[in-house]
Amino acid sequence: MSGSASVLKDNSLLSRIDQRLYKLETGLALLGGFTVLGLILLAVVSVAGRNFFSQPIPGYIDWIEQFMPLIAFMGIAYTQRDGGHIRMDMLVNQLKGRVLWFVEALTTVIILLLVVLLIWGSWSHFERSFDFSAPMWSRDSTIDIGLPLWPAKLLAPVALTVLSFRLLLQIWGFSRAFLLNQTTPIAVPLTEDIETQARKEADQLEEMGGK
Amino acid sequence: MTSIEIGIVVTGGLLLAVVLGMRVAFASAVAGMIGLIWIFWAKKSFDPEDFSWALGVAAKTAGQVPHSKISSQALSLIPTFILIGYLAYYAGLTKSLFEAAKRWVGWMPGGMAVATVFSTAGFSAVSGASVATSAVFSRIAIPEMLKLGYDKRFAAGVVAAGGTLASLIPPSAILVIYAIIVEQDVGQLLLAGFLPGAVSALIYVALIVGMALIIPKLGPPIKGYSWKDKLKSLPPALPIVAVVAVIILFTYNPFGESLGTPTEGGAIGAFIVLVMAIANGMTFKQLTKAILDTAKLSVMMFTIIWGVLIYVRFLGFADLPSAFSDWINSLDQSPFLTLALILLAYAVLGMFMDAIGMMLLTLPIVYPTVMALNGGEAVSAADSVFGMSGPMCAIWFGILVVKMAEFCLITPPIGLNCFVVAGVRDDLSVQDVFRGVTPFFIADAFTIAVLFMFPSIVLWLPSLAAG
Repeated sequence: MSGSASVLKDNSLLSRIDQRLYKLETGLALLGGFTVLGLILLAVVSVAGRNFFSQPIPGYIDWIEQFMPLIAFMGIAYTQRDGGHIRMDMLVNQLKGRVLWFVEALTTVIILLLVVLLIWGSWSHFERSFDFSAPMWSRDSTIDIGLPLWPAKLLAPVALTVLSFRLLLQIWGFSRAFLLNQTTPIAVPLTEDIETQARKEADQLEEMGGK
Repeated sequence: MTSIEIGIVVTGGLLLAVVLGMRVAFASAVAGMIGLIWIFWAKKSFDPEDFSWALGVAAKTAGQVPHSKISSQALSLIPTFILIGYLAYYAGLTKSLFEAAKRWVGWMPGGMAVATVFSTAGFSAVSGASVATSAVFSRIAIPEMLKLGYDKRFAAGVVAAGGTLASLIPPSAILVIYAIIVEQDVGQLLLAGFLPGAVSALIYVALIVGMALIIPKLGPPIKGYSWKDKLKSLPPALPIVAVVAVIILFTYNPFGESLGTPTEGGAIGAFIVLVMAIANGMTFKQLTKAILDTAKLSVMMFTIIWGVLIYVRFLGFADLPSAFSDWINSLDQSPFLTLALILLAYAVLGMFMDAIGMMLLTLPIVYPTVMALNGGEAVSAADSVFGMSGPMCAIWFGILVVKMAEFCLITPPIGLNCFVVAGVRDDLSVQDVFRGVTPFFIADAFTIAVLFMFPSIVLWLPSLAAG
């Protein structure tokens, strides 16, 4: 099972688009990450407010629920770019060259088809709750303090759309590797064996200052 | 084709896709989507004109899942626990914990190894990730043990095994995931993990001390720490205790009413570690890096969760889980034997798959079966087969499965933790680590048997909290 990989770059158009998109993806992932920090601070304020000042945050749970999709969806393309979604790599690690690129391209195409259907489905989920003529443009709202639900619902199709761009790029990368019979294609996650991954992880942790 | 047959074919396809290396999250969502299209289209007798209708209904059914399942307060514990883990490095908790453990228990036979077990257990408490724990302690504990003349393989085994303690002691992300999938109380599961985690650690310690007494050259004790040295090492390591204590107190307060929800407890734990990390000189750049890593790991877990839940939505339409549990229950054998066989199947599966993927893929079908074996979700302890109520059985089974998944991290031929230790240490081959970890492997099998035979070790804390 693995969830880490390295991605090579060069000066080609594909790589330049890859790096541009990566910037956007990193920004979105950071947005999700800082939301985690925000929720933690919110909880601390909420607990302190309730226990020390008898002043709970109104709709605390409503807010958490509305922010969860930011954490859960925004980094999805970033994670795909870096090969962070886990998979069983025993078999894939045995494949080499064109066979490998063919399998990778094929599974990526299948995922893209799925994602397109999900964009459609999650968009209609959003549309059912969005209404220009309703108060706060919303047909439904949270239980406690009545926050509109549509902004949170909109995040799923938005994040999935960014993911679909990423998948298109990866299909391009894998197909190019297949056609040109490359050994080190760019802009796609390359599989690594377990020992390399472990060493990298330990290096990274050390660098992080396990003082 | 009946809907159950469709369920079986799609599930077979899903397993094949996973084995072929498709990313687990997407493989399960694809399986769910294909299954939904298939079932809806079958209702229209596969009329070509109705295909687009079936496609639309399937897309809309699946499209609701990510948002509606993810917007949950309990799930916010996952990113919180992950962030605690990343920040713990910056807070310098790893080394201070090891240092304290070394000074306090180093005098025992195999003292440094005992210290390693205690500090991996404590570190697990803040990191919740087994592989990361092994990677870190390969760097800090193995060199110290070798300096003292420890046997190389023994030292490696201790670190690989110690890493497996991560997923039972709170905060454990994997127990949160289990609770969400089987729709049980998150706080109760977190509480339930604590004692089995502690028991596992103590069994390791007993094993190390026993081995060091019989073969003294395996791990000589260290002497010469004064009480002053010992006391001085405590304050820097205390936040770890604080984090675990806060989470437990927020879920279950033995002195009276609980102080809040587990979510809030987790958040306060994270806040403590964050303050520590900043006090320890963490830069904004490092914070950003920790946050980005948290985002990535959280998204990975959330994507599997909603991907699998799309597949679960389809399973509901296909009625497969109830058919499977009817079949298992019609077997003419003791329910205990069936349960033991299910756990054994996890041991085999766990050799090839990572714990989260394995649990999420199998639980939608296996969990209802186990509940049915016990007499149903709502059964009382008196009427049940395993002698515990439905919710308690859910907790017990969850802890057993997670312990099983951890056990697989040190099982040959592909126990991940062993590869990690060998990967980090150039002077150790994977075979060395596997040889070193063998006694711990046996100890773990023993622990699992104990938890299986004495469920009260698992259920004592949660049943207190349940009143």
